[in-house]
Amino acid sequence: MRNHNNFIKQLIIGIIVIFILSILINNLTVNLIRTDMGLSFKWLLQPSGFAVSESTVPFKPSDSYAWALFNGWLNSLKVIVCGLAIATLLGIIAGTSRFNSNLLVRFIARTYVALVRQIPLLIQLLFWYFVAFLSLSENPLKIINGILEISNQGVYLFGLNLSLEFSALLLGLSVFTGASISEVVRGGLNSVPKGQWEAFRSIGLSEGDGMRKIVLPQALPAILPGLTSQYLNLAKNSTLAIAIGYSDIYAISDTTITQTGRAIEGFIILLISFIIVNLIITNSMELITSFLVKDTGK
Amino acid sequence: MEIAIKAKDIVKSYDKANLALDNVSLNVFTGEVLVIMGPSGSGKSTLIRTFNGLESIDRGRLEILGLHLDENQDEKQIRKIRRRVGMVFQQFNLFPHLTILENITIAPIKVQKRSSIESEITAKELLKQMGIYEQINKYPNQLSGGQQQRVAIARALALKPEIMLFDEPTSALDPERVKEVLDAIRNLANKGMTMVVVTHEIDFAKEVADRVVFMDEGKIVETSSPQNFFSNATEERSRRFLNQMM
Amino acid sequence: MFLERRSIKQLKKELASSPMDTLLTIVIISLFTWVVSKSIHWILFVADWEVITHNIPLYLFGSYPKEQLWRPLSWITILSALTIVTLIGGKKIARKKFLPLIWLSMIPIGIVFIAGGLGIYPVPSRYWGGITLTLLLTIFSAVLSLPIGIILAFGRRSELKFLRFISKTYIDVIRAMPLIAVLFFGQLLIPLFLPVGLEINRVLRAVFAFAIFTGAYVAEDIRGGLQAIPPTQQEAALALGLSSRQTLQIIILPQALMTALPALTNQAIGLLQNTSLMAILGLVELLGISRSLLANPSFIGKYLEVYSWLAIVYWIICTCMALLSRQIEQSLSTSSINNI
Ligand SMILES: Nc1ncnc2c1ncn2[C@@H]1O[C@H](COP(=O)(O)OP(=O)(O)OP(=O)(O)O)[C@@H](O)[C@H]1O
Ligand SMILES: [Mg+2]
Repeated sequence: MRNHNNFIKQLIIGIIVIFILSILINNLTVNLIRTDMGLSFKWLLQPSGFAVSESTVPFKPSDSYAWALFNGWLNSLKVIVCGLAIATLLGIIAGTSRFNSNLLVRFIARTYVALVRQIPLLIQLLFWYFVAFLSLSENPLKIINGILEISNQGVYLFGLNLSLEFSALLLGLSVFTGASISEVVRGGLNSVPKGQWEAFRSIGLSEGDGMRKIVLPQALPAILPGLTSQYLNLAKNSTLAIAIGYSDIYAISDTTITQTGRAIEGFIILLISFIIVNLIITNSMELITSFLVKDTGK
Repeated sequence: MEIAIKAKDIVKSYDKANLALDNVSLNVFTGEVLVIMGPSGSGKSTLIRTFNGLESIDRGRLEILGLHLDENQDEKQIRKIRRRVGMVFQQFNLFPHLTILENITIAPIKVQKRSSIESEITAKELLKQMGIYEQINKYPNQLSGGQQQRVAIARALALKPEIMLFDEPTSALDPERVKEVLDAIRNLANKGMTMVVVTHEIDFAKEVADRVVFMDEGKIVETSSPQNFFSNATEERSRRFLNQMM
Repeated sequence: MFLERRSIKQLKKELASSPMDTLLTIVIISLFTWVVSKSIHWILFVADWEVITHNIPLYLFGSYPKEQLWRPLSWITILSALTIVTLIGGKKIARKKFLPLIWLSMIPIGIVFIAGGLGIYPVPSRYWGGITLTLLLTIFSAVLSLPIGIILAFGRRSELKFLRFISKTYIDVIRAMPLIAVLFFGQLLIPLFLPVGLEINRVLRAVFAFAIFTGAYVAEDIRGGLQAIPPTQQEAALALGLSSRQTLQIIILPQALMTALPALTNQAIGLLQNTSLMAILGLVELLGISRSLLANPSFIGKYLEVYSWLAIVYWIICTCMALLSRQIEQSLSTSSINNI
């Protein structure tokens, strides 16, 4: 009786969904026929004809769209991976600082979060790019001679020449995500019983050692899921690269679609490349989780 | 005597391995107070919850106030039964986002489509009977456990049920709060309400019950009067259980 | 936390517990003073605020025709009044059936007020802009995304396998996509999926895209709220004879929404911030207006002034929303929802 009912309900919902989908698809085909374009991926192999400002693999305008998109994907991956590292570092520093014994350290950490989280990332990126980097002079500002030098031409770090766009995007993403990660870290640390702090102090460990060796490891199981979702956010947010002219996967898809008019195909390719990025992140995090959490004996 | 609840050979299992109810047959007479006792996991909750359709049965027949129930869960039939059978849970299960008054009036208004004025008058009367009229505009978590359970009883009574089911109504209470809830149930019994009560309160059962049913491993092991059951239970299992309790 | 009174002794402990600590305190204080004094100096004496002060009307209403300004103004006034009534009225009013209806009706009313039609002089969407457009995008999308989220959340828990499958697919696919892509393809693809001849303007397309996107996140928040409700609540409701639909409407959904409220207000704050992405796609909301001003030769190079101003405006709005939500949360938790 029950199963019977369920079956009928499923059937009705299925019919409704198929009905709506078919209306949408019908409209789509009508529109596509009107504009004389069927679905096709052949154009991927045609030469793109555009130049890419930043390339991880060698790229020239006579190369295909497919190669251009792959290049953009690698550019995205580059900024995402670097961003993850810096954001994590910032987040851990700011998150643990919320428990520092010094009042002012706590204050600075709080201000950082309160400031950065309530301002749109896009505005922060534009700020870093146009205000912080582009307004620099042409003569490199030698912060550490021969190791870190910054000018409006780019950033020189350990022998690497980083473009301004890359640097601004990386900095903006890391500072923004770092604030969110610090909240995740703070939540995790809060989940560790107060007795643990008293215990490490009572056996004479320093605050720093106690945090690193006793409290953080216990907070990890609570921190890691939140960390994963922040990493995914960072990956998605990296597409704001287009606002400051960094050639990531989204920026190149955008150019490609404007040139070829292949919106639906472009959408599918972008979706797939993001699903791959997401899979890479979630799977590595699962690996790290199983490794770390086993290590702490939980 | 008229029969309020008639259970015939009911079988129920949650998983393939064990039967939670194993061929249970039982009659509850109108105006009777039936107490169900038994060790943890013996199927007391499962049995009492089949009486208002909260648990479906796999086999057998139930007749509640003349309404039939079998393994085909008929939604309409179950709702008809639930309108005439009240239930009180171990964990109170009040609605935390509604005030005490709203907790009590929600069913009369939504189920019986009575006017809100009429329902509020009934609710206030019930709250006075339960001795918690002052709490009327508070929220459940602002009340003590005993008070919450009395609200839960009032909520069930607001539908003017013909049968009341209690599943360990005092087990989640502090010892000093047990008496106020038992008093409320005793009052109901004195008014002639048909009741099925799962409880471990022996003194209460001795005083209020008309009959005691002892369950173990999904079966009814023994049915007798409270005097017989508590002084010389016939079954070995009942005696062992009582020894542990006293 | 920082406003609590502290005794001198306590302060000494918190600022100078060791020589290193004292050094740190001194470094931070001097750095902080330096930054603050530099900023104040810049704000008062160096910065050229003309780019903002000359364009306040643009920032408020975009290039909406002057003689029609009463329309967005009165819509925003009604909205603020409604917000205040909802907040002050508290739970009494929140449970009334008509309230969600009034909120929903603010969308068509807003469209008619701002776009015109029905006998009102039409104003094309390219004249909409500034804070009005930012708020319009945020509120329209938020109001639309809530029902989408609720339906998806229940779909994901449905006993019908097929329904579960579509809901989960929708949620997962959308959550895998970057917002800018959803918005961009919203602009491009929504017209492709509509019947020939039916066109909707860019702002509405953006609203739909935002709602489609945010709905997936709202669904997960509401699902979290639903999971926090013990199954015994449903049992108790059913035992009283309430129907399954009544149980959902009266018992389950209100509790789930209350539990999800902090997460939902976070979504709203995120949504407001995200409306700035429409500047990339050519709308002149707060950020879009700023970018067009920066392209104007008379204001060229005023990046620092413009972006600082924007940061302050967004910061104030978002911080107010966050504070408001915390207040609501507290008033809820003292009355009812905690320790279910
Ligand atoms: N929802 C469920 N899913 C699976 N098994 C269940 C469920 N509810 C009860 N059971 C099993 O059914 C049997 C009877 O349980 P029931 O709750 O009826 O016992 P009880 O007599 O009420 O015990 P207690 O005194 O602890 O409340 C037990 O073996 C229990 O493990
Ligand atoms: Mg039980």
